[in-house]
Amino acid sequence: MMGHLLRSDTAGCVFGCRVAEVDAPVFGGMVRIPIEAEIPYQIYGLIYDISIEDDGLVRQLVTAGQVTPEVVRDNRENRTVPLEVGVLFIGYKRQGEIYHLLPPRPPLSLDEIYSCSDQEVCEFAGGERFGYFRHILRRMDIPVGELLAVHLQQASLAHAGDVGWGARAAKELIVLLRDDYSTLMSVMSALGDTGLRFDGAAGGAL
Amino acid sequence: MGRQAPARRIQLDQSRQRALEVLAAHNELVESLRSKVEKANALNPRLRCAFPVEDRLTSHVPEPVVEKPHVILAADGSQIYPSRHDRVEFGLVNVGAIRLQPGCDLTPHETIHSELLYDESLITQDGQLTEGGLALLRDVSERVRLAELAEKETLPVVALTDGPLEPFFEPQENSQFKDLFKDFLGALVRLSACGASAAGYVDKPHSDLVVRLLEIAALPEQDLSQAGKPPRRFAGVTDISLFRELLGSGERSAVFEIRSVMARKFEGDLKLHFFYLNVGRQDYPYLVRVEVPAWVAEHQELLDLLHSTLLNQCRLLGSKPYPYALHRSHEVAVVTFEEKWQLLNMIEVEMLRNGVTLSEQSHKQSAKDASNR
Repeated sequence: MMGHLLRSDTAGCVFGCRVAEVDAPVFGGMVRIPIEAEIPYQIYGLIYDISIEDDGLVRQLVTAGQVTPEVVRDNRENRTVPLEVGVLFIGYKRQGEIYHLLPPRPPLSLDEIYSCSDQEVCEFAGGERFGYFRHILRRMDIPVGELLAVHLQQASLAHAGDVGWGARAAKELIVLLRDDYSTLMSVMSALGDTGLRFDGAAGGAL
Repeated sequence: MGRQAPARRIQLDQSRQRALEVLAAHNELVESLRSKVEKANALNPRLRCAFPVEDRLTSHVPEPVVEKPHVILAADGSQIYPSRHDRVEFGLVNVGAIRLQPGCDLTPHETIHSELLYDESLITQDGQLTEGGLALLRDVSERVRLAELAEKETLPVVALTDGPLEPFFEPQENSQFKDLFKDFLGALVRLSACGASAAGYVDKPHSDLVVRLLEIAALPEQDLSQAGKPPRRFAGVTDISLFRELLGSGERSAVFEIRSVMARKFEGDLKLHFFYLNVGRQDYPYLVRVEVPAWVAEHQELLDLLHSTLLNQCRLLGSKPYPYALHRSHEVAVVTFEEKWQLLNMIEVEMLRNGVTLSEQSHKQSAKDASNR
């Protein structure tokens, strides 16, 4: 488990976890949130923001300049100042079916958040379906280019057996952004920095 | 108030200068000063002052170098006082403690101990448990927690609490005080058996124990019966205003014994002592009082460990020095106003669920709650 939900709305949520969680969240990482309901379902999301809140004591420690190992551990592992992680919802799974739609209802306070395994990433993002990209592209308040680039990088690794996945995803992005030149350039520029290659028949190979 | 402040400041400064002159004059006359205090104390058993135990009054001891591994234990308490205005009367003593091992890459360990007081536990032989009684119960619980933790350690221990070791409780003759005080001393005995450097840390002290000693020093022998009685020669002068000029950054003062009615109840190894410590910077002195029992005051190694540990702990908080461990134990223990209401609601629900009819909230409290003031 990665953490517990702090707050949520239809399109996303913020969860909190201790700084030293073993299963630490990473930017662009795909997460899942199991929801108890009459027909249970599981929400999928992408981590678009990780913030570490401070408080008066942390500020005082920083200005003192002398931070000892036990004080670092104390503040990371004991004090109730959580790491806050922003997640945007990209779809859900119910009765074995994947939907690239917003979930029926957002998760509730203290619901548990888990990171997705490679198999779960492939199951959600596999094949030719990239409908979930629209949830990312419509957000104006997040670094869309960076998020898509990192997601494609991570998902390509998960799709190790499908070397064409990355190329198909990139092609879909070009189609979706054909009328939005500035966003397209931002996404392409970020993709260029991932080291992914989309050329040749085996496009999408790393 | 503002208009009178400059004149008052000048007057206080003149008193302070005179007190410093007496301090300098008696710096090495410690033996005769001790005898004078003993005589004054015999004439006035309620005398409250410092009693010199070192050779010089103006000693200033630099920060010792202590490199051996040790453990810091700090405990702090928080409480909810029972209120007859609430629908249910209850009290709470919450004690938080933290264990740190300086320089060691180990996660500090927090513990919390909560004691809910209700029904019989709010009644003593002398009647209702008073606010003073609850505060003493909290102080006892802090020391007991420290003793329990210290007994598990194999390394040298520094055991810290916030505030003086000398408890304040009136009247001291009732059974409520006697029972709690016995437990208080019992916990100190346990800490003594562990050889812990136990101390009470008094931030921004306003005490004048040394000033009162100087007042006795300035009295002619034939007037010793007036010791500790008004009018006071250096009224308003505080000890830290004297020691601020004597102690450099990181230095501690001489150790003094506390003479008071309450302090007499601490005997042998538990006798109360104190020193002043400058935890501030060279250009910005900040003095605190550190109260220690005799077994620490008379043991140079324990005193050095405490001196060094307090300075290192204070440095962690930079320009507003205060021991990190004590701050953290406070964070663990503190019960906020909101938490009190949450707890009260939980208790009320549980009572109602068990068919208990609750008394009415006082109209005064009800009006306060309604206007949220």
